[in-house]
Amino acid sequence: MSTIDALIAIGLAVLQAAGLLAAAPLLKTTIKKMKARLQNRQGPPWRQGYYDLAKLLSKEPVRSADASWIYVAGPRVYFAAAVAATLLVPVLLAAAPLEAAGGILLLVGTLAVGRFALAVAALDTGSPFGGMGASRDMTIAALAEPALMLCLLTSALAAGSLNLGVLVRDLLQQGPSFHPSDMLALAGLFIIIIAETGRIPVDNPATHLELTMIHEAMVLEYAGPDLALVESASALKELLYLTLLVDLFIPAGIATSATPGAIVVGLVAWAGKIFLLAVAITLAESTNAKLRLFRVPELVSVSLGLAFLALAIRFL
Amino acid sequence: MPFALLLRLAVIALTLLAARRAAVARFTAFLGSAAASIVTVTTAATVLRTGSSVHGVLFVHGASQFSLSYAVDGLSAFFLLVLAALAVPIALYSIGYVGHPHFSRRSAFIGAAFNALVGAVELVFTAGDAITFLFAWELMTLATAALVATEHEERTSRRAAYLYLVMSHVGTGCLIAGFLVLAAGPGSLSFATLLSGHIAPGPLRDGLFALFFLGFGVKAGVIPLHVWLPEAHPAAPTSISAFMSGVLIKTGIYGIVRVCAFGLGAPSLFWGVLVVALGGLSAVLGVLYALMQHDLKRLLAYHSIENIGIILLGLGAGMMGLAYGRGDVASIGVAASLYHVLNHAVFKGLLFLGAGNVVLATGTRQIEQFGGLLRRMPWTGLFFLIGAMAISGLPPLNGFASEWLTFQAFLYGFRGAPEPLVHFLFPLGGALLALTTALAAACFVKAFGISFLALPRSRAAAEAHEAPAVMLAPQAWLAALCVGLGVFPGVVLRALNGVLTSLPGLHPSLDLASGSLGMTSGLSAFDHVVPLMLAAALVGGLAVAGALAAYGARAFPLSRKLRRTAEALAEAGQPIGAGSPERLALRRARVRRVPTWGCGGELTARTEYTATAFSKPLMMIFHAVYRPTRQVDALAEVSPYFPQEVRYRAEIEPTFERYVYGPLLRVVLRVATGLKVLQAGSLHAYLAYVIVLVVGLVLFVWWRS
Repeated sequence: MSTIDALIAIGLAVLQAAGLLAAAPLLKTTIKKMKARLQNRQGPPWRQGYYDLAKLLSKEPVRSADASWIYVAGPRVYFAAAVAATLLVPVLLAAAPLEAAGGILLLVGTLAVGRFALAVAALDTGSPFGGMGASRDMTIAALAEPALMLCLLTSALAAGSLNLGVLVRDLLQQGPSFHPSDMLALAGLFIIIIAETGRIPVDNPATHLELTMIHEAMVLEYAGPDLALVESASALKELLYLTLLVDLFIPAGIATSATPGAIVVGLVAWAGKIFLLAVAITLAESTNAKLRLFRVPELVSVSLGLAFLALAIRFL
Repeated sequence: MPFALLLRLAVIALTLLAARRAAVARFTAFLGSAAASIVTVTTAATVLRTGSSVHGVLFVHGASQFSLSYAVDGLSAFFLLVLAALAVPIALYSIGYVGHPHFSRRSAFIGAAFNALVGAVELVFTAGDAITFLFAWELMTLATAALVATEHEERTSRRAAYLYLVMSHVGTGCLIAGFLVLAAGPGSLSFATLLSGHIAPGPLRDGLFALFFLGFGVKAGVIPLHVWLPEAHPAAPTSISAFMSGVLIKTGIYGIVRVCAFGLGAPSLFWGVLVVALGGLSAVLGVLYALMQHDLKRLLAYHSIENIGIILLGLGAGMMGLAYGRGDVASIGVAASLYHVLNHAVFKGLLFLGAGNVVLATGTRQIEQFGGLLRRMPWTGLFFLIGAMAISGLPPLNGFASEWLTFQAFLYGFRGAPEPLVHFLFPLGGALLALTTALAAACFVKAFGISFLALPRSRAAAEAHEAPAVMLAPQAWLAALCVGLGVFPGVVLRALNGVLTSLPGLHPSLDLASGSLGMTSGLSAFDHVVPLMLAAALVGGLAVAGALAAYGARAFPLSRKLRRTAEALAEAGQPIGAGSPERLALRRARVRRVPTWGCGGELTARTEYTATAFSKPLMMIFHAVYRPTRQVDALAEVSPYFPQEVRYRAEIEPTFERYVYGPLLRVVLRVATGLKVLQAGSLHAYLAYVIVLVVGLVLFVWWRS
C-alpha cells in the first residue's frame, strides 16, 4: 500500500467515523419521535439528541469518590471501540475504510471490547445498580453471541468471504437473491440487534425502573461528559448494527465508485434503508411488551434456531 | 538437551544441600531453574529456526543395549518454547512468592520439586522412545503430587494430591497398555517406529486411539476426566498452580497431538468428531462451572478446562480435515490449537500469578472477601486486567488471535467437508466457541470487577499491600507477551509453519502469516486480520473520546434553551458560568468527587453487588446444567415476621462427581472387596500364586513350542 493510498484510507476513515457519529443521535431521536407519534404524542424535536449531548458535554464531570481509573477509562474505551468498529463496515462506499484490518469476526470482537470495558467500569462505583446492569448485560450478550455469529456467518459463507468490503462487493455482483435462508438469517439478526442495542422487548431504553433496567442500570452512575460518551457510543453502535444488516442483506444502491454522483445515490439509499429499519424497530417497540429477563433466552434461542435453519437451507 | 537436564540435576542437588538456609536454597533453585530453561530454549529455537531435529541418547546400558533417547523435532521444540515462556517468569516470581513467611521454611522442598517437575516436563516433550516418555511422565506426576501436597497439614491438600495420583495413574495405565500394544508389532520402542502409523485402520486402531485419548485426556483435564483439576490447582502453591495450568496440562495436549492425531496414521473421521465433541463439552461446561466459583483459584482452574476445550476444538477440526484428506484445512485447525496452547500458557500463567499476589496479600481465596484491591495493588490489578481481557478473547490481545484462527478452521471445514450431516458439526462448533468466549468475558468481568473494584469487602482487603517488584516483573513480562502475541500473530504463525510442515499429512499454506503483523486463513482471500491496525484505530478512538469529553462542548453552539436553563440556574444562585463555551470548558477541568448514591441508604461493602449475585442470572438460565439447590432459613425468636438472622445457602450439583464418579467408585470398591479373598495378606498364598503362575507359564511356552 503506497503512502497516498494509506492517506486516502485514513481520510476516508475519519470522514466515515465523523459522519456516523454525527448521524447517530438523529437515529435515536427519529425512533423516539415515531414512537411518540404512534402514541398520539408530539415527541421531542428532531434536534433533541444533539441538545442532550451538548447539555451533557457542558456539564461538570461528577465522579464517585470510591471509583478508580477504571471508571474513567470505561466510557472512553466503549466509545473508542464503537468508533473503531464503524471503520470495519462499508456505509456509503462498497468498501470499509479499515478493510485491511479484518472482517466480521474482528467487528464482533471489537464491540465485545467496548462491552467488557463498560461492564467492568459499572462495577467500580460500588453501587448495586452498576453490578446488576453489568451482570444482566453480560448475560444477555453471552446468550446473543452464538446466534449473532451464526447469522453473520450464514450470509458471509454464502458470499464466500468474511471481509465486509469483499462481501458487499460480492453480494452486489450476485444481484439480489431472495433465497429463503437470507430471510431467516435477516429475521434472526434483527432479533439479535434488538437484544444488543437494548430495545424493547429485551430492555427498555426509556425507563429507570430498578428492577427492569439493564443498560441504563449499568451507566446509572455516569454524568456529564462521561455520560455523553456512553450515550453517543450507544447511538453509534445501534446505527452500526443497522448498517451491518443493510450491508449483508440489502446492499443495493451502495456506491461502487468514488464519484460524487454514486456517493449521493449511496447516501440516499443508505439513509432510506436505515429509516425503514428504524420504522421496523419502532413498530417492534410499540407492539411488544418488555419481556421478563428470564424470558429473554427464549427470544434469543428463536434467533439461534432461525440461524441454524438458514444454514441448513443454504448448505444442505 | 542432556546438558540442560544435568544442570537441573545439579541445581536440585545444590538446593537440597542448602536446605537448612531457606534463602540460599530458594535463590539456587529458582535462578538455576531459569538458567536451565534458557539453555533448553536455545536448543528449541535452533530446531525451529533450522527446521532439522536434534536427537541423541541420554543413557545406554552396555550389556542389554537398553537406552534412553531424546529427540527434539518441530513439535517438541514448540512445546519447549511454551514451557520456557512460562517457566522462567514463574521461577523468578517464586523467589518472591516462596519467600513469604508462609512458605519460606519449605523453600528447599518447593525449589527441588519444582526443578524436578520442570525437568520432567522437558523430558516428556523431548522423549525419543516410549520408556523415556513413560519414565518422565511418571516423574512429572509424582513431582506434581508432591507439590500439590505442599501444605500437607490441610486435609483438602492431601485429598487433592491423592485424587490427582489416582486419576493420573489410571491415565498412565492406559498409556502403558497403549504403548505395549503399539510396540507388539515392530518390537522397537523408539517413537520413530512406534508412531509411524503402522497399524492398519480397524477396531484395534480405534481401541488404541481410545486408550491414548483416555490416558492423555486425564492429564489435559478433558471433561469428563477433569475432576482432579479443580481440586489440585487451588491446593498447590500459586506459582505451582500457574505452572500446572499453563504447562502441565499441556503435556496431555502434546500427547494427543503427537500420538492420537499424528502417531496412529491418518485419523478417522469419527476421531475428529469425538475430539470436537469433547472439546465443545469441555469448553462450555468448563466456563459454566467457572462462572459459579467464588474461589479465585478454583475459578481459574475451571477456565483451564475451558481453554483445553478450545484447544481441542481447533485440533478436532484439524483431525476432521485430515480425515477428509484436506491437509490445508487441517493445518489451520492444528495451527489454531497450537497457537492457543501458547496463548493459554501466557495469559493463564499471568492470571494465576496475579491471583497469587492477591491471595498472599489478603490471606484468602474467596472473591467475596476482596474488593477495592485496585487502589491498594495498582500493578497487580493492571496485569490481571490485561490477562482477563486476553482470556476473554478480546482483540487485539492474544486470546483473540487464536480463537480467530479456530473460527477459520471451522469455516473452512464447513466449506470443504464433503459429507452433508457431519459438516454441520463445524458451525455448531463455531457457535459453541462463540458462547464460550462470551461467557468467559462475563466471568472475568465478575472476577476482576468484584475483586479489584469498588469498596473493600473485608479488613484483609482493606489492608492489602502491593507485591514486591520481583513478583511484579514476571507479570509485566507475561502481560507484554499477551499484547505482543496478539498484535504480531504473523511472528507466531511463521514459527508454527515449521512445526506444521514437520507433521505428517499437513500442507500449511505459505501465506498463513501475512507479514509479521497479520494473519490470513491461508487459502484464497477468505478472511484476514491485522490486529495492529485495530489497535491503532482503538488508540485513535480513545484520543477522540478524550478530546470530545474535554472540548466537545465547544462544538455545539449552545442552544437557546440550554442558555435559558443556565441563566435560570445562575439566577438561583448556582455557581455556573454565563454559558460561554470557554468558561464552561475551563470550569469542566475540575472533577467533582462525590460519594456514590446508595439508594437513600448508607453505601457500604455489604450493599455492593456480590459475585454470587453477578452470576445468578446465568445460574437461573442454565439451571438444567447446574441443578442448583438453595436453602433460606430465617431464624426468628419472637415471630417469623421479625427474623433475627437469615441464612442463605446455595450450591450447584457436582454432576460428574455424583453421577459418573460416584457409581464408578462404588463398583471399584465392590470389586476390591471381592478381591480380598485373593489378597488376604497371607504370604503362603502369595507364594502359591507365584508358583502356579510360573508353572503355568512354563507349560504355556512348552505347549506353544
